[in-house]
Amino acid sequence: MIGAGVTPIAHAPVDWYAIAPEIALFAAAILIVVLRSVARHDPKVHQASMLIAIAGVAASALFTGVQWAFVHSNGPYQAMSGLVAVDGFGVFVKSVILGATLLALLLSGGYLRREHLESPEYFALMLCSATGMMLMASANDLITIFLSLEILSIALYVLAAFDRRRLSSQEAGLKYFLLGSFSSAVFLYGIALVYGATGTTRLSGIAQFLAKIVLLHDGVLFVGLALLLVGLGFKVAAAPFHMWTPDVYQGAPTPVTAFMAAATKAAAFAAVLRIFVGAFRLYDVDWRPAVFGLAVLSLLVGSIAAVVQTDVKRMLAYQSISHAGYVLIGVQAATDKGTSAALFYVCTYAVMATGAFAIVMLVARRGDDRHELTDYRGLASARPVLAGLLTLFLLAQAGVPLTGGFVAKLSVFSAAIDVGQYWLALVGMLAAVIGAFVYLRIVLAMYAPPDDEAAPEGPRIVVDAGTGVALTIAAGAIVFLGVVPGIVLDFAHAATQLLAR
Amino acid sequence: MIAENVVFGIIAAAMALGAIGVVRTKNVVHAALYLVVVLAGGAAQFILLGQEFVAWVQVLVYIGAVIVLFLFGIMLTRAPMHPKDSLDNDLRWPAAVTSLFLVGILVGLLVHTFHADKVDVQRPVRTADVTSSIFTTYIVPFEVVGVLLLGALIGAVVLARKD
Repeated sequence: MIGAGVTPIAHAPVDWYAIAPEIALFAAAILIVVLRSVARHDPKVHQASMLIAIAGVAASALFTGVQWAFVHSNGPYQAMSGLVAVDGFGVFVKSVILGATLLALLLSGGYLRREHLESPEYFALMLCSATGMMLMASANDLITIFLSLEILSIALYVLAAFDRRRLSSQEAGLKYFLLGSFSSAVFLYGIALVYGATGTTRLSGIAQFLAKIVLLHDGVLFVGLALLLVGLGFKVAAAPFHMWTPDVYQGAPTPVTAFMAAATKAAAFAAVLRIFVGAFRLYDVDWRPAVFGLAVLSLLVGSIAAVVQTDVKRMLAYQSISHAGYVLIGVQAATDKGTSAALFYVCTYAVMATGAFAIVMLVARRGDDRHELTDYRGLASARPVLAGLLTLFLLAQAGVPLTGGFVAKLSVFSAAIDVGQYWLALVGMLAAVIGAFVYLRIVLAMYAPPDDEAAPEGPRIVVDAGTGVALTIAAGAIVFLGVVPGIVLDFAHAATQLLAR
Repeated sequence: MIAENVVFGIIAAAMALGAIGVVRTKNVVHAALYLVVVLAGGAAQFILLGQEFVAWVQVLVYIGAVIVLFLFGIMLTRAPMHPKDSLDNDLRWPAAVTSLFLVGILVGLLVHTFHADKVDVQRPVRTADVTSSIFTTYIVPFEVVGVLLLGALIGAVVLARKD
């Protein structure tokens, strides 16, 4: 009943271009769920949903490209009453997320068939998670960041536990869920305190407020900032909030691990950069020491703990903690150079992590349980191409020249040295040396002669078409990033200049 | 103002007692019911501040949905319905220290920052204002919640089905 005195709600104009990439991904997820319920018993549904998912990623990439063209000519802007930022920063991170999602989707098809886990919901959940990540990359508002964090996490909790017959997968899902919801709560409390101190949840609004007003009692702001850092530190798997990482990365189905390592890190670091380097740039004297501490701890804990592991998947999980440390070096610089270095690192890590986990997935074979170092003995003589590719991805992670990993490490170190953080760069180099030892252990195991009488020959390693394509893309990308890094570096640099503040 | 302060004090005391009850009782069902007292107290405080919409959301979501979910969870998972000694474990003292530390920080923080500020309770926020800000300023989070719920729904189906 609309009577006198009731004014109809004035709808805000919807800027469809600003959210088109997210809508395309989510529409594909809905299409998969609908298809699944309409054609329940058709065995082709699984194949079709993978194709729909890939089409969704392609459409999303197209819209992201349109956004980039627009931003490039007209400059960044804020849409949807300031909640969504359309800028080069968002476009860069979204491109990384879409690339990582595409690779993870390509890996998943063959994996699910091999493990008899075919189910269209898997793809729907992965797209849902990617939607959350995309939104996180472009969010200009703490509430929107929180919700997208929840979207990406809830889908990932389920994906981690997707192989329910394996106890380790169940454990991974439950562990990730419990610790993840706790960290979300911490993050939410941080938002509440920051809102209490500044009166707004918009990142650009916070930056403007802090530029105009000097807070007399800034305790609320600082505790809020600390809680935000803890919540995001958990998501990027930075020490000392890394406890869940080895178990979850190890237990989750390997394509999901690749997706978590590559895409989640990109999205969460986008939020870190937007919040700390963007909104709280004026308070960098206060948050930089904390990020410094996180970076040092992550670098050391990640690389040292990886040395004593004998499980390759677990080694890579620990190494992902130290890679988060390298990105934090770039964040800690709090300069444009640092931001572009962090962006480039995130992009490179997405490629090399996905590539390495893809080979781990293949070597594990049916049952996804052959992850020991001894399982890699003799891989070079049995499957020289796979061994060569894994060597390439591991050398890239170690930071060997002519791979993207070298350029990425070099740019974060030089960003740190530019602001006089020699110690941090030194710790980073130390961690890189320890990391190289870990990677060489795996490589040496692969090129060692097979111990013929000990282990009975398992099932043959089968490379399906999707995984083959993904491996080719990843290998090509990592060499491309190493040999001609200029294009992506320029893109990352442009992304920081266009960051809407 | 005095009447409001008195009511605030009574509700706050009830909430604190309820919260102690949650962690003191040895019966899981009783703990859930004590939690109702705490959450209902929270809703009452919101009404005292003139935030009727938030108060009813608190009642509907927390008491109506979350607590009922707890009770269903207890009943469906063969959790012990009778008093049980093993609910406490060795971590009670570290937990007590941690929570006291947290209370100290938060209370100190709020008192330090807002000690002299008074809340304007003369002008309650109308539900209509909340509505229009949800559908205009906060339209993105509002719509995004739909994505979140659908994701959670698919996830729940995936985890719960038998095959």
